[in-house]
Amino acid sequence: MPIFKTPFNGYSVKFSPFYENRLAVATAQNFGILGNGRLHVLSLPPSPAAPISEIACFDTADGVYDLAWSESHDSLLVAAVADGSVKLYDSSLPPANNPLRSLHEHTREVQSVDYNPTRRDSFLSAAWDDSVKLWTVDRPASVRTFKEHTYCVYSAAWNPRHADVFASASGDCTARIWDVREPGSTMIIPAHEFEILSLDWNKYDDCVIATASVDKSIRVWDVRNYRVPVAVLNGHGYAVRKVKFSPHRGSLMASCSYDMTVCLWDYMVEDSLVGRYDHHTEFAVGVDMSVLVEGLLASTGWDELVYVWQHGTDPRAP
Amino acid sequence: MASNPQPPSETFYEELKQCSSIAAAPPPKPWERSGASSGPAPFKPPSAGSTSDVVEASGTARPGEIITSTDRTTTANRNALGRPVPTRPWEQQSYGSNTYGGYGSTLNYGSGYGTGMYGGVGGMYGSSMYGNSMYRGGYGGLYGSSGAYGGGMYGGGIGGPMGGYGMGMGGPYGGQDPNGPYGEPPSPPGFWISFLRVMQGVVNFFGRISILIDQNTQAFHMFMTALLQLFDRSGMLYGELARFVLRLLGIRTKPRKVHPPGPDGLPLPGPDNPHAARGCIEKPKAAPTGSWDNVWENDASR
Repeated sequence: MPIFKTPFNGYSVKFSPFYENRLAVATAQNFGILGNGRLHVLSLPPSPAAPISEIACFDTADGVYDLAWSESHDSLLVAAVADGSVKLYDSSLPPANNPLRSLHEHTREVQSVDYNPTRRDSFLSAAWDDSVKLWTVDRPASVRTFKEHTYCVYSAAWNPRHADVFASASGDCTARIWDVREPGSTMIIPAHEFEILSLDWNKYDDCVIATASVDKSIRVWDVRNYRVPVAVLNGHGYAVRKVKFSPHRGSLMASCSYDMTVCLWDYMVEDSLVGRYDHHTEFAVGVDMSVLVEGLLASTGWDELVYVWQHGTDPRAP
Repeated sequence: MASNPQPPSETFYEELKQCSSIAAAPPPKPWERSGASSGPAPFKPPSAGSTSDVVEASGTARPGEIITSTDRTTTANRNALGRPVPTRPWEQQSYGSNTYGGYGSTLNYGSGYGTGMYGGVGGMYGSSMYGNSMYRGGYGGLYGSSGAYGGGMYGGGIGGPMGGYGMGMGGPYGGQDPNGPYGEPPSPPGFWISFLRVMQGVVNFFGRISILIDQNTQAFHMFMTALLQLFDRSGMLYGELARFVLRLLGIRTKPRKVHPPGPDGLPLPGPDNPHAARGCIEKPKAAPTGSWDNVWENDASR
């Protein structure tokens, strides 16, 4: 399947919710330590043999750590930038007219953004200043700030069914569930003994979340009974950087880790490790599963490569 | 595919402001077509309206709030879990350099550097990039050590022949496994310590380079010497062999050694001059005329 070489180190990859052949990649120079960043919008070729073509690319003055596709406009992107800003890009406009808006309220690096998939007019940003901010596209400033975490917030994810509920994962070793109408968090899950780097909701069971941590494990939790995890998935050799539930199968999830592998898990079955891909030669930090094509995976990492492949095939195969 | 995505225009943002309805919607998500969840969810039913309206109706909206560091310390008291959290990488003043007892005591920060102080993902400083610094010793090259990957996983492996070139400073001292750092992670070093470590890395690097150059020169010299010696010896071997073969063929060759006449034209003792040898034994050699100064050359007066 096709491979795309980015000039900088990859940080995040996301499939477009509108077009099955479109995806975007967030990259940062010098492993994101310092330097510029770039946002690529890519188009998959009709045949697997052809190379991936680039539709647009936008430069930023600081590394881009994450991105999210808008659920309301097919060309709109939200980028989380390391200088603490959240930028809105329109991939159909030339770079001179971009970014459409630069929202600068976070005082530290923004690690993750997530677009509300149900109400489609708002998005969240999670940053290293311990806060999560809620933004709507019709406001120039954030609507709300959620600050309860006592360490960097690494990830925030909307519940796929409840438009007002989201979860956040933080370096203070807790995951928290929030309702945008409540003043504080509605649930605190002490999910791991070490920092939690990522979390995602089960798309088919709105009470189940998965958390990925520095302790090399992924844990699945039921928010109604979070004393014990539903499942503990061990198998990664280093910290798990991202976890993502499949949009097509309820118990399937993909994860990527600093052990340079991308793994697929099914937490319902005994042998939970379903697939393991070691195509990256550096840390794998971004993984996504296509909403529109079942089994289509994309991953990126610090080896500056973006792989798109069908589950079960070799990502490196031409 | 997309249900009629609108052609985006310059003014779409303005349009968005005016109309609350969504311009275009993506294809329905696969999970939206499926049934409900496994049981009653502990969430309040979703409210109608746009997100900003919902938040404002709940009275929790605080537009454009900026979190300052003072806010952060107050929120720390509200930490429901009461767990200790590590210091942030950018909080330089809290680096607690008193733990280190000076630059000389390398052992202290050696283990501290790698274990979790730059915790988390993403990367502002070296090892934080590695997710809780699983790579001891920080991210070489740029911060604090000479190797490309610091210690830890890549350890001494990188740069093969140079022997542990990639070993970050923390490497040899880092006793703790960064992936299982039970106990308190020590605080990170202060600015001067990291600066000095960077300098040490630089000096180390050039030291290694100069050693390499020196070793190469030496090796080349020895190689050349050996080569010359080989040519020399092989020439002699050829001569000997040739003489042997000619002897076998019955061709008599003159012996190679031609004895030069001694001083004063006296023949030196040798196989060709048995008489001279005998004479030498029988009577002592006469001192040359003149002085001993002319022993090795013919007398100028002759």
